[in-house]
Amino acid sequence: MAVTATAARAGAGFSLPAMVKEAGLTALVVLGLSFYLVGFETLDVPGGVDIRTRFGDVAMAVVIAFLGRTAVFLLRVGRPRPVLLLAPPIALLILVALLSETLFGPVIGARVKLLVPFDSPVVMWAVLAVTVILAVRAAWRLSHDTQQLSDEQRDARAGAVAAQVQRALRYLGPALLVFALAMPFMPFANRQIVDIGTLVITYIMLGWGLNIVVGLAGLLDLGYVAFYAVGAYSFALLATYLDLSFWICLPFAGLMAASFGVLLGFPVLRLRGDYLAIVTLGFGEIIRIILLNWYSFTNGPDGVSGIPRPSFFGYDFTRNPAEGEASFHMLFGLEYSSMHRIVFLYYLILALALLVNFFTLRIRKLPVGRAWEALREDETACRSLGINPRNTKLTAFSIGAMFGGFAGSFFATRQGFISPESFTFIESAVILAIVVLGGFGSQIGVVVAAVILIGLPEIFRELQEFRMLAFGMAMVLIMLWRPSGLLAHRDATLRLGPVGRGGGTAR
Amino acid sequence: MSAMHEIPGGGQSLLTVEHLTMRFGGLIAVDDVSFQAADRRITAIIGPNGAGKTTVFNCLTGFYAPTVGRLTLHGRGGDFYLERLEGFRTAQQAGVARTFQNIRLFPRMSVLENLIVAQHNKLMRASGYTVLGLLGFTTYRMAEADAVDKARYWLDRVNLTDKADWEAGNLSYGDQRRLEIIRAMCIDPVLLCLDEPAAGLNPRESAQLNQLIKFIRDEHKIGVLLIEHDMSVVMGISDHVIVLDYGCLIADGTPEQVRGDPAVIRAYLGEDEKEELPAVVRQDLEQIQQAAPEQDGEAR
Repeated sequence: MAVTATAARAGAGFSLPAMVKEAGLTALVVLGLSFYLVGFETLDVPGGVDIRTRFGDVAMAVVIAFLGRTAVFLLRVGRPRPVLLLAPPIALLILVALLSETLFGPVIGARVKLLVPFDSPVVMWAVLAVTVILAVRAAWRLSHDTQQLSDEQRDARAGAVAAQVQRALRYLGPALLVFALAMPFMPFANRQIVDIGTLVITYIMLGWGLNIVVGLAGLLDLGYVAFYAVGAYSFALLATYLDLSFWICLPFAGLMAASFGVLLGFPVLRLRGDYLAIVTLGFGEIIRIILLNWYSFTNGPDGVSGIPRPSFFGYDFTRNPAEGEASFHMLFGLEYSSMHRIVFLYYLILALALLVNFFTLRIRKLPVGRAWEALREDETACRSLGINPRNTKLTAFSIGAMFGGFAGSFFATRQGFISPESFTFIESAVILAIVVLGGFGSQIGVVVAAVILIGLPEIFRELQEFRMLAFGMAMVLIMLWRPSGLLAHRDATLRLGPVGRGGGTAR
Repeated sequence: MSAMHEIPGGGQSLLTVEHLTMRFGGLIAVDDVSFQAADRRITAIIGPNGAGKTTVFNCLTGFYAPTVGRLTLHGRGGDFYLERLEGFRTAQQAGVARTFQNIRLFPRMSVLENLIVAQHNKLMRASGYTVLGLLGFTTYRMAEADAVDKARYWLDRVNLTDKADWEAGNLSYGDQRRLEIIRAMCIDPVLLCLDEPAAGLNPRESAQLNQLIKFIRDEHKIGVLLIEHDMSVVMGISDHVIVLDYGCLIADGTPEQVRGDPAVIRAYLGEDEKEELPAVVRQDLEQIQQAAPEQDGEAR
C-alpha cells in the first residue's frame, strides 16, 4: 500500500506552475519576515540612533529561500537530478568562500569572500549545511530509489530506534555512569567542563523529577520551578537564619517542597489538560512573586547571599580553615586546589540525580507507579477499578516536588547566592522542554535532551542570541517530526513471557 | 421494596434499588426506578436508546450521585449504601466493578499491566503503601507474584495469554472487550456491571462472551448486571430482565415474561398512536380524518 501511495505521490508529480507557485510563496513569506527584521538595522551613533538598510541581504535571503524550496519540491516529486547538479557546486562555492581567508591569504581571500552574500559566518554555515543536506538527499534518492516514508512509518521507525536504545541501555547505562563518574579526572576536564557537567546534571535531575509528574502521571506542570525555588529558599533561609549545615537542611528543603507540592495538588485535583497547565503556571508565578515581595523575610529582589557551601562530611573546602578544624585538602593530604569543591559539587549532584533515577525506576514497578501511569492513560477507568485518584495525584505532585526541592538546595549551595530572578517561568519552560524533547517518561531521553538543550548552548556560548533561536527551532522540528519526543519508548514494568528476547527492563 | 419480594429468576438479593431518580437540570433521565438484582444471577437491563440504562449504571458505580433513591448492596461484610460512597470507593470497598460502553483500557500499558493495575489496592497494602516495596521487602514480591498468577488465570480463560505482553491498545476490538471484562474481574467484585459488552462483536465473539459471562456467574458466584442491545445475548443468558423506557421501569421479570409483555413490545416496536390518546381527542381526530379527503380535493 505504501508503494502505491508513493507512486501516486510521485506520479502526481512535476508541474512547472506548481513548482514556481510553491517556491514563490515561500520566497514571499521570507520577504515579509525579513523585510523589517533583516532589512533595517539600528546603529548607535554619537548623538542618537541611526538606521542602516540591508536590502541586499533581504534579496539574497529571498533568492536562497526560492532556490531551497524549489529543491525541496523537486525532491518530493521524485526529480532529484537538477538538485544533484546544482547543489554541490553551490555548496562548494560557499565553502571555498567561507574558508577563503585561510586558503588564499587575506588579500585574495577578502575578494573571494565577496561571493558570500551574508556577513555572518554562522548564517553562511547554516546555508551550507542545508545545501549539503539537500545534495545528499538528492544523491540518496537517485541511487536508492527509496520510497518516501509516510509520517506514521517515520514515527514507527523512530520508535524502533528508541526501543533499541532502551535495550542497549543495559550496557550503555553502566557505561554512561562510568563516564559520568570518571569525567572530572579525564584529561580534557577543566574547570569549565566540570561546571557545565554540573549544570547539565542539575537539569537532568530536574527533568527526571518533572518526568514523574508529567511523564508518568501525565499531569502537565508548567510551574515546576516553584518547587526548585522553594527548595533553594528553604535551604538558604534555614542556613542563614538558623545556621544549619547543608546536610541537615537538604531533607528539610525536600520536605518543604513536597508539602508545597501537596498544596498545589489539592486545588488542581479536578483539573485536566490546559486548565491544569494554567493553574500550575500561576502557582509558579505566585511563589516567585512572594519571594520577591516578602522583603523582611526573603530579602526580596536583593536575594539571599552568604549561603554556606557544602562540606565533605564536616570538612570544608577552604584553604585556611578556622583554628582547630581541618579542611578537605588537609584530610587527604592534597595540595589546596579550588577544583576540589567544583568536583565535589559535581559528584554531589550526580549522586542526587542518580537517587532520583533509582527511585523512579523502582517506583515504576510498584503499585503507585503503575497507578500513575494508569491515571495518565484513563482517569475514569482508574476510578472504576477502585484507585483513589486524589491520593495518587498528590503523591505524584509531592514526590516530583521533593526532587525539585533537592535540586533547588543544591543550586543554592552551589551558587552561594540566590534571588527570585533565578526562578522565572523560562526555567520551567526549559525543564519541561527537556522532558518533552526527550520523550515523556523516558529516563535516557531526559539525559539526551538535557545534554542537547543545556550542554550544547553552554559550549556554543559565542553564538549568543542564536542560542535561543536554535533552541526554538529544535523544539519546532521535534514537534513536526516526532511529537512524542526523541526517545519515547515505554517498556512494560513486568512481563509474562520470557524476559530474554526482546525483553529488557526500563534502564 | 424489600428483600421479601421474590426476585424474578430466583436467587438471593444482592442489590436493591429503591426509587432511583436522576435529574440533570430539567431532564429526568431516570424516574423512580426500583428493582432488585440477585446474587449468582445475570440481570439484564434493556431498553431503547436514551432509556436511561447507562445512567442507572453510573449511579450504581459511583460516577453519578443520584438525585433521589437508595442503592443497597448486600455485599461482603454487610450492606453498602452505594449512593453515599465516593466515586472510586464503590469499587474499592463495596466491590462493584464495571466496564464501559466505549472501552476504557490503559492503551499504552501492556495487557498484563492492565490486569495488575486492577489489583492496585491489594498490592498497595502488600507494598506497605510503597515504603516497604521501595525497600525491597519480599512481602511485596510475593503479592506481585500472586497478582500475576491471578492475571494469568484470567488470561488463560479468554485465550489472551499469548498476548499478555502486548500493548493493550494494539489488541483487536473483541480482545479489548474481553480484556476489559477480565480486568474488572481482577478487583474481586461481588457485582460485575457490564455496559453493552457485546457491542461491535461478531456472532462468534458474541457467543464466546456469553460463555465467559456464564462462567463468571457459575464459577465465581457473583452477580452480573448487564446492559445490552443484542437480544440473543439478553435472551440467551440472562435470568432476569429489567426494561426501561424514557427513564421509567416498564417491565421486570424473567426473559419469557418480558418477551411477551405488551409494554415492552410497544417500547421497542412503536405503537398505534390512537390507543394512547384520550377518548375525546381520539374522536376529534377521527372526525378530522373523515373530513380530510374533501379538504384535500378543494386544495387541489
